Amino acid sequence: MVMRCLGALSRALLHMFPRKRPAGGEVEEGVPREAVVPKKLKVECSKSEVAADGNHRPPHGMACDSNGRNGADIDEDLHSRQLAVYGRETMRRLFASSVLISGLNGLGAEIAKNLALAGVKSITLHDEGIVGLWDLSSNFFFYEEDIGKNRAVACIKKLRELNNAVMISTLTGELTKEHLSDFQAVVFTDISLDKAMEFDDYCHSQHPPISFIKSEVRGLFGSVFCDFGPEFTVVDVDGEEPHTGIVASISNGNPALVFGVDDERLEFQDGDLVVFSEVQGMTELNDGKPRKIKNARAQSLILEEDTSHFGAYEKGGIVTQVKQPKVLQFKPLRDALSDPGEFLLSDFSKFDRPPLLHLAFQALDKFKHELGCFPVAGSEEDVQRLMAFAISINESLGAGKLEEINQKLLRHFANGSRAVLNPMAAIFGGIVGQEVVKACTGKFHPLFQFFYFDSVESLPVEPLEPDDVKPLNCRYDAQISVFGSKLQKKLEEAKVFLVGSGALGCEFLKNLALMGVSCSQKGKLTITDDDVIEKSNLSRQFLFHDWNIGQPKSTIAASVASSINPSLHIEALQNRACPETENIFDDALWESLNIVINALDNVTARLYIDGRCLYFQKPLLESGTLGAKCNTQMVIPHLTENYGASRDPPEKQAPMCTVHSFPHNIDHCLTWARSEFEGLLEKTPNEVNTFLSNPSEYTSALKNAGDAQARDLLERVLECLDKEWCENFKDCITWARLKFEDYFVNRVKQLTFTFPEDSATSTGAPFWSAPKRFPHPLQFSTSDPGHLNFVIGASVLRAQTFGISIPDWIRCPLELADAINKVSVPDFQSKKGVKIVTDEKATSLSAASIDDAVVISELITKLEGCARKLPAGFRMNPIQFEKDDDTNYHMDLITGLANMRARNYGIGEVDKLNAKIKAGRIIPAIATSTAMATGVVCLELYKVLDGGHKLEDYRNTFANLALPLLSMAEPVAPKLNKHQDMSWTIWDRWIIKGDLTLRELLQWLKNKGINAYSISYGSSLLYNSMLPRHRDRMDKKVVDVARDVARAEVPPYRRHLDIVAACENDEGADVDIPLISIYFR
Amino acid sequence: MSSPSKRREMDLMKLMMSDYKVEMINDGMQEFYVVFHGPKESLYQAGVWRIRVELPDAYPYKSPSIGFVNRIFHPNVDEMSGSVCLDVINQTWSPMFDLINIFEAFLPQLLLYPNPSDPLNGEAAALMMRDRPAYEQRVKEYCERYAKPEDAGAPPEENSSDEEPTEDEYDSSDEDAVPGNPDP
Repeated sequence: MVMRCLGALSRALLHMFPRKRPAGGEVEEGVPREAVVPKKLKVECSKSEVAADGNHRPPHGMACDSNGRNGADIDEDLHSRQLAVYGRETMRRLFASSVLISGLNGLGAEIAKNLALAGVKSITLHDEGIVGLWDLSSNFFFYEEDIGKNRAVACIKKLRELNNAVMISTLTGELTKEHLSDFQAVVFTDISLDKAMEFDDYCHSQHPPISFIKSEVRGLFGSVFCDFGPEFTVVDVDGEEPHTGIVASISNGNPALVFGVDDERLEFQDGDLVVFSEVQGMTELNDGKPRKIKNARAQSLILEEDTSHFGAYEKGGIVTQVKQPKVLQFKPLRDALSDPGEFLLSDFSKFDRPPLLHLAFQALDKFKHELGCFPVAGSEEDVQRLMAFAISINESLGAGKLEEINQKLLRHFANGSRAVLNPMAAIFGGIVGQEVVKACTGKFHPLFQFFYFDSVESLPVEPLEPDDVKPLNCRYDAQISVFGSKLQKKLEEAKVFLVGSGALGCEFLKNLALMGVSCSQKGKLTITDDDVIEKSNLSRQFLFHDWNIGQPKSTIAASVASSINPSLHIEALQNRACPETENIFDDALWESLNIVINALDNVTARLYIDGRCLYFQKPLLESGTLGAKCNTQMVIPHLTENYGASRDPPEKQAPMCTVHSFPHNIDHCLTWARSEFEGLLEKTPNEVNTFLSNPSEYTSALKNAGDAQARDLLERVLECLDKEWCENFKDCITWARLKFEDYFVNRVKQLTFTFPEDSATSTGAPFWSAPKRFPHPLQFSTSDPGHLNFVIGASVLRAQTFGISIPDWIRCPLELADAINKVSVPDFQSKKGVKIVTDEKATSLSAASIDDAVVISELITKLEGCARKLPAGFRMNPIQFEKDDDTNYHMDLITGLANMRARNYGIGEVDKLNAKIKAGRIIPAIATSTAMATGVVCLELYKVLDGGHKLEDYRNTFANLALPLLSMAEPVAPKLNKHQDMSWTIWDRWIIKGDLTLRELLQWLKNKGINAYSISYGSSLLYNSMLPRHRDRMDKKVVDVARDVARAEVPPYRRHLDIVAACENDEGADVDIPLISIYFR
Repeated sequence: MSSPSKRREMDLMKLMMSDYKVEMINDGMQEFYVVFHGPKESLYQAGVWRIRVELPDAYPYKSPSIGFVNRIFHPNVDEMSGSVCLDVINQTWSPMFDLINIFEAFLPQLLLYPNPSDPLNGEAAALMMRDRPAYEQRVKEYCERYAKPEDAGAPPEENSSDEEPTEDEYDSSDEDAVPGNPDP
């Protein structure tokens, strides 16, 4: 019986109702027993697959699908970053997919790695060849001792270690069509065109079709072809969230005109389908029927619907985009070859390349077919043969014939064609890995159908001599055949600083080890990362395994990289690179470097490293990923602008008043929940501890401040130690129950008391108009799981801050409910109501309530009284939010806070996973785009280390594998500043030798026709022409002023200090002068 | 626009050139106070506030953080924390804006035209919408009570930054000041 994806999928779907993950090996009801076979069995099962001839079929059927993942269970701790990209449904489909990868060169290895990390059901590796020296240039699974083994077999152990939930098997004999029927997707990295057409014809004609992908990397050239069958449905074409908008009005008409609220832009496009909800008045629109729109604008859209006879619009309404599936009709390879359609273009400066490469790859196939080998690097004879094949194929094309064949490009193609280079494998491994995910899940738009790419700019500036590309019988022979041994030597002797050892860092280390960078005693790779390995890292950071959890990232990554290439000369540090560690990452280290590679996950660190590279004039290779997107930026001294020269707009944040009182979506509720969590469990306990560790200093500081903020702080500290003091767990329950009342009942009642539902603004418009939503208080009930979970989360965490142990009875629902019900909850009284009774307060302010100083004194007296009664040495335990520990109740409380608030405002609630992704600001991340980014960067690394490349040789990249889109462009040159006959860029520095005074410094600038009005050192102001007291500093040495003002000594090893001067020319126009270095000793 | 590293200095300079009193803490440029007078023809015209300005590392790409130190009764300013809810400072900030815009335009506009529809101080907003005279009275009371020149740390009569002695007073009395000698 052949089990096909639909069968497996529908069976999985049967069991897809929501459920918790099984804990402690429990078998849950509703899950077929076979699906939860204990782990042990799985190990045996997979062992038997490789045994014997290693030619077993991929395992299928429940008997062997023993990983407990019949589609329903996703290990959220492992896959949280990937879930943030794909969502649960896509992951489930992925978990049900079996994939064949044929051809275990570097490209095959990269694809296999990316798919194992993603978590497909099974991967079958096919290769008939054996590991050779040339494979060591790109396949990181192979160690030198693997030479001579079958390629597929040599990969299996390490591939399995990447994700033991994926079944890995091998095929080492000749592949036939019949083998293919077991898979949802098949990938070929090294197959002749004839064979490819035969296999693709078979895949294309199956029901359902098998997705077929053919990809090759040949030197600095690469290709992909996809055929997902005659009718392939794309479920999600771009991976973006559906757009939503808040309705302000809808007309009765045909068509109808819809306006959105003023302060939010609508982001729909013409032709989108939308649904409406919560519309009042014109309730006919709430029927859930998708309707088409046109004339989509920022504030309005036209709805293709006759609403003339609908009810009149009153208020409210949310309009949501309905994402439409798209059906693609793929052509089989046989037809597409002669009629390739539009090529995906990656570089507008190379718009004419794809048709030429389409031809070149066919010519290479012909060459191999006729001569039984690849063209030899440096052989002019082979270049001419390849050229002849290309010409003859071109002649046969008729109408599609190329006018001219670029001979120079074809020469490069022929010379490097035997080599599989690691950076190219990393790029294409990312692209193809993503295409397989698309084929198996329908998530994201497939590549349709051909893609060609080259990076000839990576070749050395000086032309290569045949002697230079001759093999040296070493592991770098493939790379040498393309770049020559001179560049190879430069790579091996490079001194590199790799900043970060996370997802990008792991990929980079693998790439650098394979390329031989810093792999001689003269070379040195310094890597640093202050983080330790967590479970959520393992789905991308492939140098780490589950037995490494808790160990330092950089050390583990370095040791694994050293086993990939034992010559790697690497030092691993565990420090964050930041201003505080400049004694470790000192001037001597920086000055020794040839190149710096960022593998960071935050902008602050990137800007810091950028500043250091700018200062020490070092090339910086920068990259970053976000879900399926990635970007790379080259920062080359004097050639390009620096990283900090251009910035993304800061992230949009919800307005404070919205978060505070008027949330209208779940994000607002989650932001509020995060901030309440921090206030209750981290800030206030910290404040209490600050008070307790030095009461007199604390109180006198607040007394001095004497303002509302000081009063607020004191009130909180006092509350914690007095009224809300927790002695035992019951007190914590009381506190939690009263917090519920405060947050979700009293505050809402107060707000709706202040602003009743019918209140109007000064202009007479209703106050509660969109986007504001009118809230309703909750009625607490122990039978509501949401209420109960909130109280559990809050009381457990409260207990932790007081060092109270958690009793077992909280797990017993009855006892818990009983304890909660015993809490006496006072009735709500509105604050304003109180004021109306004591009437003089309402109109005029009483002295007691307004004189903060008096209140502060009273509070301090009370607080001191309280402190005396505390147990000696009492301190609270502040809790820092940690999203990734599923057992710590943090996410439970945040989800509870957010969802109860959402209920108040009638906003849809969020599940714990999505709450974690949003509140934990989890950056969506997948292995494919990460690997690809590092491959693109390493193509640039060749250019930097070769030296002498011009700006037009470099490329910055933006890619989105979901679309798919790959866009490469020349970096931007740095801004040139001019003054009189001088010119400079940000890379320049002015150097002054001598220990001069401020006055002398100003004069030195004056002599250049520049007037400095402000001089600073770091964030300290040394001189400002407007401040009279700074005039006293004029005759002091600059270094002394800097020391006094910034309160920092220049380190003894440094002979200079750097200052920034803000200047004008004689006409009063600003002159942006370079940094000034004063060599004072 | 000049390079970001110099924007702090240029912005500060412009403020001082426009006669704003800028009170620095030990010559640091990341956090300082600016004395702000209520705009003429507004309910707040007699008031003087000390405004805390914090320039983030990413300034001017990221907006400065602005807070009233002494109390103000205003629908869009939180009474206890002094935080301001103003879209040009929070959501629609652009690096083309600078500090002078905040003190010359954004804050005066906010005080002239409060927006009770998006309140941060609900009581002020509700009072403004429901009982205008009572609201106006309360605003003025707050000004008299909390926003006298001495509450803002400014001497009674208007002063520019050339007042040397007051400057040193702040240095030594400010809670945030690092203990030690004031600037030489």
